[in-house]
Amino acid sequence: MALYAQPPTSYSVPTTAPIEHRFNPYSDNGGTILAIAGKDFSVIAGDTRQSEGYSIQTRYARKVWQLTDKVVLATNGFAADGNNFVKRVKQRLEWYEHAHHKPMGLKSIARMIQTILYGKRFFPYYVYNILGGIEEDGSGAVYSFDPVGSYEREACRAAGAAQSLIQPFLDNQVYFKNQQPAPGSAPFVPGNLPLSTILSLVVDSFTSATERHIEVGDGMEIYVVMNRGRNTDDLLGPGILAESMHVEELGALGEGGGEKTFLVTSPLKRD
Amino acid sequence: MELNGGSVVAMIGKDCVAIASDLRLGNQSVGVASNFEKVFPVNDKLYYGIPGLASDVYTLREHLRFRVNMYRMKEEREITPKTFTHLVSSTLYEKRFGPFFVEPVVAGIPSPTPLDPHPRPFISTMDTIGCITTPKDFAVAGTAADKLYGVAEGLWEPDLEPEDLFETISQTLLNAVDRDALSGWGVVVHLITADKVVTRTLRARMD
Repeated sequence: MALYAQPPTSYSVPTTAPIEHRFNPYSDNGGTILAIAGKDFSVIAGDTRQSEGYSIQTRYARKVWQLTDKVVLATNGFAADGNNFVKRVKQRLEWYEHAHHKPMGLKSIARMIQTILYGKRFFPYYVYNILGGIEEDGSGAVYSFDPVGSYEREACRAAGAAQSLIQPFLDNQVYFKNQQPAPGSAPFVPGNLPLSTILSLVVDSFTSATERHIEVGDGMEIYVVMNRGRNTDDLLGPGILAESMHVEELGALGEGGGEKTFLVTSPLKRD
Repeated sequence: MELNGGSVVAMIGKDCVAIASDLRLGNQSVGVASNFEKVFPVNDKLYYGIPGLASDVYTLREHLRFRVNMYRMKEEREITPKTFTHLVSSTLYEKRFGPFFVEPVVAGIPSPTPLDPHPRPFISTMDTIGCITTPKDFAVAGTAADKLYGVAEGLWEPDLEPEDLFETISQTLLNAVDRDALSGWGVVVHLITADKVVTRTLRARMD
């Protein structure tokens, strides 16, 4: 009977379609960043959770970086690209300082970041950047970028996993959208909020995002960059920060022009 | 959901609830109408909103109107918010394998009864197949749901008085739909208290 038996299907008919394998060089590591400019200071913040899919890789990964005495950069998106990008920016800043004997200014760093990002237009750094600090005229400034270098100076910006949760809240509270001043009172001017108000907005934004977004949480790092000679009582004074928050002054990176940078850290929910 | 766009939000206050929707009806990115209300009354203490596929909004509204009328005639009393929520839920689950593309939000104040003389304000929301959640604070649905979550989480607080609740829900919806391309084109807010309902159409960005 074996003579008449059908040959096994395994070599007569292919049972499965060929499987295509493809390497994907990008992933999304979650997290959220945010920056708000004041009159003579700037606040740049980010959470510290790093995740991939539903897994938490670490509860503390840095996303906000002090670049110079008056400039801080926040990165969000693909962490490997973000870390490498910051490394390149820092190296370019070092070269600049050797060549010109002074640190690079905020708006120049912003333009440099554009050229670095656009230099990889066809294999981009998968990173959304927000740059904050003190401008040459002493005003607080925020610059936001897309992954290929398109950028803009603004009064505030949120980016990352919870951008859609935070940005409309900031539109309302920082740009006063859909609000009008009481009859006879002064018009609203964005970018003039006091530091205490901005700190509350930042903390509320992150606690809200932590509550409703799984990729946001664990901890929060808030960098406050103050113009030279500015009074620090509205940050270091008694009763300004909550009990759970910790503040430290970061020393000058270069010769020090009198600008001060503070790092405020605070825990966020870990669930 | 992304075919016609639209969003609804409901919030609880102190002895009051509010429910609000945008007024846009679109065909993907093309705006078609700016008078498409998504919130409907059941009685003078109970409203519900249904964002989602516009044809299903109409179908479900008529379907529920029929079922509420039948309930009213058989029971000779008004339906409570909780019972209405379960009515909507089972109506949606009937179509478990070919669902209505809507995410309903219910908001109302139950009438006092001998068993429950001081009922609490009630809101609830469902997914497309009728799975119920009954939040203590606020409920959001529609294409601007993520934005609504962010703003509501930042603005809402417990025990808001009716006029403060109106301001909170209005600001929440206005600022959320301004960041959503598929919602907006006007906003309508219903503020429900034990003795009356106040409906206001707000001036909003029309772009």
